[in-house]
Amino acid sequence: MKLRLKILSGFLLLVAMLIVAGGLSIIEFSKISRSVRDLLDDNYQSIQASQSMLEALEREDSGVLLLVHGNWNQGRNTIARADSVFQSNLRKARHNITETNERPLIDSIIKQYGRFNRIWEKPIAGTFKEENLTWYYQTSHQAFSTVKHSVNQLMSLNQKSMYQEATDLREKAKRAIMPGIVAILSAFIFSFLFNFFINHYLISPLERLIGQLENFRPDSLRLEAGIKTRDELKRLQDAINDLISRIKFSK
Amino acid sequence: MRKDLIIRHIGLVILLNAFFLFIATLISGLKGESAFIPLLYSTLVALIFGCFPLLFVPRFDDLQTREGIVIVVSGWVVSCLIGMLPYLLWGGSFGIVNAWFESVSGFTTTGSSILIDVESLPKGLLFWRASTHWIGGIGIILFALLLFPRSGTSRLTLIRSELSDISQRSFRAKATDIFRIILFVYVGLTLLEVLFLTAAGMPFFDAIAHSFATVATGGFSTKNTSIAAFDSMTIELIVMFFMVLSGLHFGLLYATITGRRENIFRSPVARYYLLFLLVGVLLVALKLYVSDYTSLGRSFREAAFQVISLGTTTGFATTDTAAWPPLTRLVLVYFSIQCACVGSTSGGLKFDRVLIGLKSVKKQIRLFLHPNAVIVSKLGKLRISQEFEFFVFAFTVLYALVIAISTLIISALGIDLETAASAVIATLGNVGPGFGDVSSLGNYASLKSAAKMILTLDMLLGRLEMFSVLALFYIKK
Repeated sequence: MKLRLKILSGFLLLVAMLIVAGGLSIIEFSKISRSVRDLLDDNYQSIQASQSMLEALEREDSGVLLLVHGNWNQGRNTIARADSVFQSNLRKARHNITETNERPLIDSIIKQYGRFNRIWEKPIAGTFKEENLTWYYQTSHQAFSTVKHSVNQLMSLNQKSMYQEATDLREKAKRAIMPGIVAILSAFIFSFLFNFFINHYLISPLERLIGQLENFRPDSLRLEAGIKTRDELKRLQDAINDLISRIKFSK
Repeated sequence: MRKDLIIRHIGLVILLNAFFLFIATLISGLKGESAFIPLLYSTLVALIFGCFPLLFVPRFDDLQTREGIVIVVSGWVVSCLIGMLPYLLWGGSFGIVNAWFESVSGFTTTGSSILIDVESLPKGLLFWRASTHWIGGIGIILFALLLFPRSGTSRLTLIRSELSDISQRSFRAKATDIFRIILFVYVGLTLLEVLFLTAAGMPFFDAIAHSFATVATGGFSTKNTSIAAFDSMTIELIVMFFMVLSGLHFGLLYATITGRRENIFRSPVARYYLLFLLVGVLLVALKLYVSDYTSLGRSFREAAFQVISLGTTTGFATTDTAAWPPLTRLVLVYFSIQCACVGSTSGGLKFDRVLIGLKSVKKQIRLFLHPNAVIVSKLGKLRISQEFEFFVFAFTVLYALVIAISTLIISALGIDLETAASAVIATLGNVGPGFGDVSSLGNYASLKSAAKMILTLDMLLGRLEMFSVLALFYIKK
């Protein structure tokens, strides 16, 4: 093999290794970026919606308490505003189902919330329910607690999934970094090897050839630098030997 | 010493690894697994490092013995380094130390693992894991010679450097014939076992992985509970049969298959070895039965499997031996030290050396009684020279010394004595499972990184039969 090709192949292999490592790192980093997006789009949105639903539920519960205490106007206003927040966040959660157990959970929230709705939709102030805390604890607060529990479950499901995604992210980050580390180490070893071969098969024979030429005596018949490869250096040695024999022959 | 020539041969060894990595990559690619990219990258790195020396270094056909030793030892270490790449790149429970441990354990056919959940590993990685066993089983250099045939003295030197002295003597054939015999038996046994296991109902992929591990006397399984996962008497019998065969001298197996005189039935080593195994099985089974461990049938089934598994240095499991009575565990420790026959794929002290040692003791007693007698020890028809007796003695002393020093260091790291000693015995003998925290259904995950590194050194020392490694330090002298 020619020297030019040997040197070129050495560099090409080094470049190939770096390109592959770079390519793999890009692929892995793209996966990380996709995972981060999924993390934000899927789980974080659902967690946010669940939190808003919980807050809305708390306010609705306060509204019911206001009605029980006879504050009709304030109670109805609080409940109406909280209901609107709850409904809009429930819609968000319904349109962002990403986990396998999420749909049945949302269905049960809808059902339980409907039951809670029916309790406060009917008149409270001015009926036997007014100032009736036993009714409040046994009926309204019970229904509120059931919905709250389901919303909490929804939030916990998404939090768990988010934690899993984050753990996977750590793994993906490790996978993205490793090709780089391996490439750096490999490039280091490769450079060392390349340097060794260049020195052993290029520099040393050249030095030997130069040494032989410098110490060449007129009575010597040929020059022997111990070149075993079949490349330009061998040709150079043969050409010099050829020149020596031609000069000797011409004399 | 010609460094360029050594690098060229190591390049060939790396190319051998690249070949198996490529198959693993294909499997992973076809299944669309997460291990595809790690395996592909490892294949490319191996290809680059394997091909590069071939571009520069011309082919040499002469090789000196010391160059052969350096090639063999470096070939094993480099293979282990290349072997850890897919694990390291895949991640999971593989950090640098764990990936190195798994790789060394694979190539040296030890079969000890740091994996708690083997079944979670992608198929491509499982195949690579099994392949490391198969490559290491007959020796990385011998395998490389199969893929990249050499001619002249270099082939001869490499074969001689790879095989231990006792192994070469025992074959009583030319080095090149030894190579042919080993390959014939190795590949033949693997193919037969795949066939039998598949016929017994084991899935094809598992059959290949388990056959690679059995014939190489490795022990890596594709299941968390090893062979116990299949819960099949037929599969256990097949695996036991092939474990016993793989623990026998390959030259004897070849002679038996080809109908020659010097076969298994005429070899005293094979006879004693099988007798020892039988006695071991009987002893363990009866003790298990007497200790009310389980029924007589189950005692025999479990005892036979465990004794054969440890006695042949394979390391598969059908039960957790950590729960067994002390006497049975002691018997298993003995088999972990004794190991199988010379000329097989098993590691450790080897049964032949034990037998030569016993014969030497007998000879010394006779000399004590008759000081002027001329007594010649024989192993079958093979005359054991005094020089060879010393060699066996030196090896045994060195073996015991390594066990003692390694146990001492590992115990000093805060690991209990039972775990430390059995882990050292199991790794130095390339057996796999020990007792305590590293029992047959346990693993090495809980051990400290320093302990894992010492154990990997033991695995390499055991596999290379120590003298090759130690010879490296004397080469310059």
